[in-house]
Amino acid sequence: LLWKESWELGKNPMASKGSPLHGPRIKLIEKAQSLFSETKEHIFESKAAEEHAKLLRIQHELEVSTKQAIFVDSSISDTIRTCIVLGNHRAAMKVKTEFKVSEKRWYWLKVFALATIRDWDALEKF
Amino acid sequence: MAQIPNLDNSPLNLKSLRELSQRELVNILKNIRGKKCLVIDPKLSGSLSLIIQTSILREHGVELRHLSADPIQTDCTKVVYLVRSRFNLMRCICSHVHNDTSKGLEREYYIYFVPRREVVCEKVLEEEKVHHLMTIGEFPLYIVPLDEDILSFELDFTNKDCQVDGDTSSLWHIAKAIHKLESSFGVIPHVRAKGKASVRVADILSHMQTEEPVNSSDMGVPEINTVILLDREVDMVTPMCSQLTYEGLLDEFLHINNGSVELDASIMGAQQQEGKKMKVPLNSSDKLFKEIRDLNFEVVVQVLRQKATSMKQDYTEMTTTNQTVSELKDFVKKLNSLPEMTRHINLAQHLSTFTSKPSFLARLDMEHTIVEAQSYDICFEHIEELIHKQEPLVSVLRLLILLSVTSSGLPKKHFDYLRRELLHSYGFEHMATLNNLEKAGLLKKQETKSNWLTVKRALQLVVEDTDTANPNDISYVFSGYAPLSIRLVQHAVRSGWRPMEEILKMLPGPHSETKRTGVLSSPSSDTLYRASEAADRLADGRRALVLVVFIGGVTFAEISALRYLSAQEGMAYDLIIGTTNIVNGNTLAEAYVERFG
Repeated sequence: LLWKESWELGKNPMASKGSPLHGPRIKLIEKAQSLFSETKEHIFESKAAEEHAKLLRIQHELEVSTKQAIFVDSSISDTIRTCIVLGNHRAAMKVKTEFKVSEKRWYWLKVFALATIRDWDALEKF
Repeated sequence: MAQIPNLDNSPLNLKSLRELSQRELVNILKNIRGKKCLVIDPKLSGSLSLIIQTSILREHGVELRHLSADPIQTDCTKVVYLVRSRFNLMRCICSHVHNDTSKGLEREYYIYFVPRREVVCEKVLEEEKVHHLMTIGEFPLYIVPLDEDILSFELDFTNKDCQVDGDTSSLWHIAKAIHKLESSFGVIPHVRAKGKASVRVADILSHMQTEEPVNSSDMGVPEINTVILLDREVDMVTPMCSQLTYEGLLDEFLHINNGSVELDASIMGAQQQEGKKMKVPLNSSDKLFKEIRDLNFEVVVQVLRQKATSMKQDYTEMTTTNQTVSELKDFVKKLNSLPEMTRHINLAQHLSTFTSKPSFLARLDMEHTIVEAQSYDICFEHIEELIHKQEPLVSVLRLLILLSVTSSGLPKKHFDYLRRELLHSYGFEHMATLNNLEKAGLLKKQETKSNWLTVKRALQLVVEDTDTANPNDISYVFSGYAPLSIRLVQHAVRSGWRPMEEILKMLPGPHSETKRTGVLSSPSSDTLYRASEAADRLADGRRALVLVVFIGGVTFAEISALRYLSAQEGMAYDLIIGTTNIVNGNTLAEAYVERFG
């Protein structure tokens, strides 16, 4: 039951998507996380919720700093790609370390992103 | 017109079934006098187009509209809604009525529920205070014949409904549909079921028989000898593999909807403006399609080429030598098949643009490796790479489900790792998708050792050296993999469940086998039963019928395999197929993907 409750919480913010206030949404997800963490079987879900909240924060910061509303609600991989496409390699690196993205995935993302902006020189270098 | 399949060659009199539904609908319309506007649930229009032509509807003074949230524009004072029992549709209707009353329009409203009314829907109407304005009825459309050997119950997503949402109302529908069949063709004496939902359906069916028994004494020998009920859950491996028959591939890439595909007119070689869509009907009324639909695609290309060359030869002969009139006639007859030829050559060409892609070939390779279940690590790494490359989610899920089902779950470390990678690559909202899959048992943590290898060996699911051109086994439909579901049917038809109980126990869900007689506690039931056994070996060349029902959908490749079985020499039965709907791996996996917003 507890699990179901937290599940509803996880779904809720999605329903109210598009609201400019991301604060309450992050809070909801954090609440879901704490609910998940109360039982042993849901360690995975709890971690995911934690990461989700963290991601939303970072995306929010990125939107503020780049003044482009294109980050929120994209996945971690998409966020990294967008960062590289925009040439913001430092932000990309930050997201990578923040979420412990494996080297394998990192290389795929980087190759795809560099290919989209046709930055062949950078592609050559690495 | 051409979209309505010709049912003349059916082993069962499906035409009467279709005519019955047609009559019922016409009667509904006749009972409402004068001109009327018929508003159809868009989801139903496909099924309706398979039983009635729009011209017949027009003859009865009908204006056709599709139901949507927008208010309807019509001069008719009578509005007839033909809808499924769904909440959101009720809302649409209510808003229509409110819109009319606010404008001061007075209309008569009729709602016909397909296939039956449900209290909850009427509650919505009551709450919105429009219930008293409505005349409510039912249009009991439970079965739509899709083709001469396929019956569809036109139910969506039963699999997910049952397993994830715990909604079992569709099971009642299936039982009702079979019961309705029995009332036209006699009580089916043998019922074999495998899977949780199937056993439930068999139970409901026997309840229905005791509550409103079909009187079979005046019907003579029942036309259907056996019904085999199979849950899709029992075999999730087959639909996750890419289908390799012509019809199967058409469905995988272009999605066949109610017996036709929709695609760009330019692909079909039409000289029209760009971007225009056209519908191509696909059913056995098209003789060429009937011939090639079940063949492996490799072979289809050869057959088409052969036909084209032979036609060219005929043509050169025609122009170079003098012909008698009868030879001319033969030639012209052959020319009649020309439009069909061009149609399928165009389609086949379009398909081969997909099938020649390296990614498709790599995928087939991977599917086979997974089904072989010998090299888990390679499969795992392949899927990992697909996720990293952010390949379309549904196609990744298909392989993942395949891997998880054949190895009865993934080791905990990999399970958590892949789930994390999935969330990272496709977004955290897919937590719900993962949860759905886990609940359905399609993607889970490994707890017991997999018995897939045993099942595979016992049922000979992987066949080496499959000759796709001259198949000697059903494995030709997947170029070497024999669909598990059809193997089960093959054994069930031959010898019943008993000799294979060990294997059945390894697959999900219980199984049951019952014998039923037409009229309970009547002395004649015994003789009736013996008569039906004699019917297995009918002297007049007609073979006994087996109805194979798939609960949760069937793929075209499986249908092809069943047709192949049915056409075998020494096969004592004709097979017809009943299914909730037609599926493929994409539509199945899609059902589990949770969408927000």
